[in-house]
Amino acid sequence: MDRQSIINGLKEIVGPENVLTSDMDMALYSYDASLEKGMPDVVVMPGSTEEVSKIMALAYKEKVPILARGSGTNLTGGTIPVKGGIVVHFSRMNHILEIDIPNRTVTVEPGVITLDLQTEVLKKGFVYQPDPASQKVSTIGGNIAENSGGPHCLKYGVTSNHIQGLELVLNDGSVIRTGGKSWDNPGYDIKGLFVGCEGTLGLVTRAILKLERAPEAVKTMLAIYETIEDGANTVSAIIAEGIIPATLEMMDNRVMRAVEETIKVGYPLDAAAVLIIELDGMPEGMDENAEKIIEICKRNNVREVKLAKDEAERGLLWAGRKGAFGSVGQVRPSYLCCDGTVPRTKLPEVLGKVIEIGQKYDLPIGNVFHAGDGNLHPLIMFDERDPDEKERVLKAATEILKACADAGGTISGEHGIGLEKLRETAFIFCENDLEFERKLKKAFDPDGIINPGKMIPEPVCVQ
Amino acid sequence: MADFKGILGGLAEIVGQEFVKTEPDVLSAYGVDNMLPRAVVFPKNTEQVSEVVQLANRENMAIIPCGNRTKMAMGNAPARLDVVICTSRMNHMIDVDTSNLTITVESGVKFRDIQARLATQEDRCYLPLDDLMTEADEVICSDRSHSGCFLPIDPSYADSATIGGIITANSSGSRKLLYGNIRDSILGVRMVAPTGEILGSGGKTVKNVSGYDVSKLAVGSMGSLGIICEMTLKLLPLPERMETLLISFGSFSHVSAFIEKVFETHLLPAGVDIMNQEAYMQLNMDGIPDFGSNGYVSAIAIEGFEQAIDRMRTEIMSMAKTNGARSDVCLQDERHLLFWLAVSNLDVALADRGSDLIKAKLNYPISEWRGIVESVENTFSDADLDYTLQVHTGNGICLPRLLVLPNDAEAMDRGIRAMNSLLARCREVGGNMVIEDAPSEVKDRLKMWGEAESDFVVMKRIKEQIDPSGIMSPGRFVGGL
Repeated sequence: MDRQSIINGLKEIVGPENVLTSDMDMALYSYDASLEKGMPDVVVMPGSTEEVSKIMALAYKEKVPILARGSGTNLTGGTIPVKGGIVVHFSRMNHILEIDIPNRTVTVEPGVITLDLQTEVLKKGFVYQPDPASQKVSTIGGNIAENSGGPHCLKYGVTSNHIQGLELVLNDGSVIRTGGKSWDNPGYDIKGLFVGCEGTLGLVTRAILKLERAPEAVKTMLAIYETIEDGANTVSAIIAEGIIPATLEMMDNRVMRAVEETIKVGYPLDAAAVLIIELDGMPEGMDENAEKIIEICKRNNVREVKLAKDEAERGLLWAGRKGAFGSVGQVRPSYLCCDGTVPRTKLPEVLGKVIEIGQKYDLPIGNVFHAGDGNLHPLIMFDERDPDEKERVLKAATEILKACADAGGTISGEHGIGLEKLRETAFIFCENDLEFERKLKKAFDPDGIINPGKMIPEPVCVQ
Repeated sequence: MADFKGILGGLAEIVGQEFVKTEPDVLSAYGVDNMLPRAVVFPKNTEQVSEVVQLANRENMAIIPCGNRTKMAMGNAPARLDVVICTSRMNHMIDVDTSNLTITVESGVKFRDIQARLATQEDRCYLPLDDLMTEADEVICSDRSHSGCFLPIDPSYADSATIGGIITANSSGSRKLLYGNIRDSILGVRMVAPTGEILGSGGKTVKNVSGYDVSKLAVGSMGSLGIICEMTLKLLPLPERMETLLISFGSFSHVSAFIEKVFETHLLPAGVDIMNQEAYMQLNMDGIPDFGSNGYVSAIAIEGFEQAIDRMRTEIMSMAKTNGARSDVCLQDERHLLFWLAVSNLDVALADRGSDLIKAKLNYPISEWRGIVESVENTFSDADLDYTLQVHTGNGICLPRLLVLPNDAEAMDRGIRAMNSLLARCREVGGNMVIEDAPSEVKDRLKMWGEAESDFVVMKRIKEQIDPSGIMSPGRFVGGL
């Protein structure tokens, strides 16, 4: 079927006002937060599960590529339509359908902005824990596809640990529900497989998320270090002491400078690194634990530990952390964020390697990351318009991911494989692993039309 | 299929002659629902499992994997069975990384041995260490961490189940209220696919979005998608203090009002159970109080930092008193551990009574718990049946066990009807019901896996892709997969 007939079909389903076709619109949907690009043929904005189902059925019948998109914050090219086709933009399906306090759940459409949901449930004294740095713009649908993390995942787990049920549109347009408000449903854990599938198995049209009571007390500290190693060693030492803080975030000097140039939160610019340490939960025992943590910091040569005195101070510390990526973008026109993850005890070693790699390729690398769970985020800063520099950036990124894999870690903690890391899957997977994944993909999408070209590399041809 | 003698030769070549068993008593011990395997093999590692499964593929033999056989009664009777693969020799802890809070073990490692291995130098442990019939010297090494760790689940058969069995059956207990299910602790697996390939997914990091989350798919798959051979699990630091509050109530209205009050607070108990007296009296533990012959016992596990424990104990006890508690007792340290081990072994105690058992696991949205428990009690009382009842109130799980005298066919009929009506009751509120154990001869009159949901279509597609010849645990799982 030609492009025009697809467009006509889609217009019939959602109404002409919800189908975008102009060159400018196609260009706007050709990129995300990664360095990848690719043009869709058409963008459609459904308003209901029924419409999504019909759109999917059309794609299925015509064997046209189709992929879901929320706010386009993906960092590995997961929302790039590399093979053209239909982009399903969930901006209209952005409703919180039900906040069910007695069952500790909230039911949402996939286009709901993560922070909007969190603000809404907090009014009732509850929290949805996963808090990716992009929570101000990212959608729940995107968080599900990428199994998003965030600072608080150290204590509370990643998105997958907070999804109780999903409504899904399968490749042929059929609608199924998996999981629900009750736990422990018999059968395969389809939602567990779906979370983190990078949008390659089907489209989510509704999600039931787990809520928890907002913690009674929170204590936030900023620990300031003269060397990165001291900070990294503190991280392991705190956990070894039997304390799991809500967050253990680290930021190096280069990133602090970028933050101070743009947001100005008062980070110490003469320090090598800071840790943001937050405790939450019942207030009993919290002071004692804070004391213990300060002791551990001192043992690891901390210069100073500052306690946030009130919510405003706490907010400021976090504003810097959450705005770090944006700030770095002000320093150089582009950055590439590697998302390699290592067992946390390997942090000092791998951080050292990252610094070496930066020197080798003559590239400024800033580090701002979830130290508590070993999730690195080296930000390689550069200018995309300089082809030589871009070339070096890609080489450096590959070397950093190799270092993570060699240290017993993995190539993505929370951003996904997408397009960007397809080659690097060889660092962690053998052909058997990939073949099993291809079979799972085939079970959902035998024609290969759902977000094609992502996450699983093509089989290696044996000549 | 080639002649079976030849196949036995092939199996012996892979695992060694002495680890292929065909003696009638062994076959009978490893039988599943009155169906006997033709051989039981005991591979020593993942590579051997892979070779055995490849052989089974070539010969189109049906395989059922097992560990210590604590859950063999689950599921439908198998459609066919040729070889049982037992993981008992695969009992090595591959990587104990307490400073990273992860452990990598083979699937035949016993749960109790993992907890013992993670104990502190002072023998603080998440299970009652002295009470474990474990080869302690072998398991407890010198490099124990000073604050200790534990694997945060409390499955049934805690002192006999293997970790592989716990994961494939998605076994859990009361304390998942605080710690989550095993799915929340599993970080990576290495398994043998039904077609014989060895494959891996995940790893040692808590965050990992690199490929599909095969580990989660493996949890609860009952051996129908392959054999999990090695797994990496997330650990937690051992709680500073652990206590259990045992509180007795005379009526359901009192105990349920009390539980509701507990959940209105900011307190973070690890588990909040209620048991009927019949269940409580079966617990195999010395020195717990006799609360009389009727009513309910609420058992609340509190685990965490000392000051938080003090507050929880005080507030919960005070709520109990204002809600009509008859009496209470606080079990500390070793007695807390012994109590939850006894709870985990409740089914063992019941099996010793010589009755036929039907064990059910009802799941439902947590807010429905009172209505469901009342339905369970009314249904069984109306049918004049003996039963025990354990409820994980905050998890939306209710575990009734029906006891039917052997050869009382009429009572068994009533029991089956009661169970089927409870399934319907759970479905009304969006829940389901799994039969965890029932006499083989009545299994086809029960819905062992409850009612299939609309996602069954995807489960079927997955099974067909992953196990095209249908040799892994055929017929035992949901919808006959």
